[in-house]
Amino acid sequence: MELVDVEHRYRAKGADVPALGPLDLRVDAGEFLVVVGPSGSGKSTLLRLVGGFERPTAGVVRVLGGTPVAGRDVGTVFQQPRLFPWQTAGGNIATALRWAGVPRADRPRRTRELLDQVGLAELGPRRTWEISGGQQQRVAIARALAARPRLLLMDEPFAALDALTRERLQEDVRSLTDGERGVVFVTHSVDEAVFLADRVVVLSDRPGRVALDLAVPLPRSGVPADELRGSADFAALRGEVAAAVRGLTVRERT
Amino acid sequence: MAQKQPRRAALSVTHAVAVRVAAVAALVAVWELLVLAGFWPPAVLPGPVQVWDQLLAASDSANGQGGYAGSTVVERLGVSLRRVGYGSAYGILVGVGLGLLMGLVPLIRAVAEPFVTFLRALPPLAYLSLLVIWFGIDEEPKVYLLVVAAFPPVAVATAAAVTGVNRQYVEAAHALGASRLGVVGTVVLPASAPEILTGVRLAVGVAYSSVVAAETVNGADGIGGMVLNAQRYNQTAVVLLGLVVIGVTGLLIDTAILALQRAVSPWRGRA
Repeated sequence: MELVDVEHRYRAKGADVPALGPLDLRVDAGEFLVVVGPSGSGKSTLLRLVGGFERPTAGVVRVLGGTPVAGRDVGTVFQQPRLFPWQTAGGNIATALRWAGVPRADRPRRTRELLDQVGLAELGPRRTWEISGGQQQRVAIARALAARPRLLLMDEPFAALDALTRERLQEDVRSLTDGERGVVFVTHSVDEAVFLADRVVVLSDRPGRVALDLAVPLPRSGVPADELRGSADFAALRGEVAAAVRGLTVRERT
Repeated sequence: MAQKQPRRAALSVTHAVAVRVAAVAALVAVWELLVLAGFWPPAVLPGPVQVWDQLLAASDSANGQGGYAGSTVVERLGVSLRRVGYGSAYGILVGVGLGLLMGLVPLIRAVAEPFVTFLRALPPLAYLSLLVIWFGIDEEPKVYLLVVAAFPPVAVATAAAVTGVNRQYVEAAHALGASRLGVVGTVVLPASAPEILTGVRLAVGVAYSSVVAAETVNGADGIGGMVLNAQRYNQTAVVLLGLVVIGVTGLLIDTAILALQRAVSPWRGRA
């Protein structure tokens, strides 16, 4: 994924409001990029441009070398799970597989595999409203992975979950890059950003520009999550990101 | 907790049925009391017992009249229900199709909405004459009348439901690579189903209440025809019998549609 000199503006009450950029950003295959920033910094706009839901006012967005098209090459997980309540958990995934062009005969097996991948092997036949918020978001992740996207966009997917569920899901999501798949994850939480990221980008207040681009050289595996969160390296990186975000917030107030 | 929920639902259904039965019983009791009070002569207001006797007589094909004027109540009901069935079915098909187009294409909505509203405002008797001139006095004008009466409520409900589909679901479908047709079939239609079925309930109700009007022209074989025939001869008990039969079967049909609505959209109010 690549953004070159991207700018985005929108019309509000007759005025031209700059939302994002100019911005240059690149995410390599297998990289887990977390975008942090204050409200209104254009984090969600950034995802909408990369996801192909909107076109930038200026500049170029490329995903796998081409213009992004919603639903092709890119999977999206939203803040709310947005599961179709008229289908079961497994039905939601089977529908995504159908739209991804997976042959009918392969769908039941792939649905089971995807549910298994997010730890919900038994919940396929359950109605979406019968499962917890965390489980719904896991199904939404499985659904977004149905088309085997090369890039996964996640827009504050755990914001509405309780702290315990959130921590569990963070641990599971760390494995989603899978060596090949890139992830762009948007969050307000500095802790979450440092825990998940290979790289953290802090966006400035509107219009969002890159205020900090920081590599996070923490081990991805082999270290228990609690140990990682309690390490000195984690604290140092968290402090650096928090300082950048705080600086923006102070500037925003003054 | 999960085990308690079906039990509560079962109890509430029993409760609802009990309340309805009690309400009907109270209505019949008030009716009988009014008759006993003698405010009106029996020829004007026959009691529930007389209407019941009339039901038995009109249901007996061996009573020398073939039930009532050549047909039993059940046969007449069958004829009227077939007309309502055809009229409603075609009306619903046209209504859902047009409503979908109105909901999805603003230009079609702008063009079609005034016509649909215009038709909704017309009482069925007003356009029956026109339908008779165009289609004669056989089955066609009766069924067409019910179609014209039934489709506007479905079209309006469908258009409103489609317009009101949660955009988040549509965006989620696009994010998963759904085509436009895929979005309509897999997201828009199921998401709109509860409201469309509300329109269907209204449409069937309108069609059923219009059947008497439809049977004013060469429709003596239906339940509405029986009411009109009885009115000519001042047979008030038969008129009341016809109204009760129409009302009760209408209620049963409505209950069936409501059950269908709950069956196809159990997620309503929970997601």
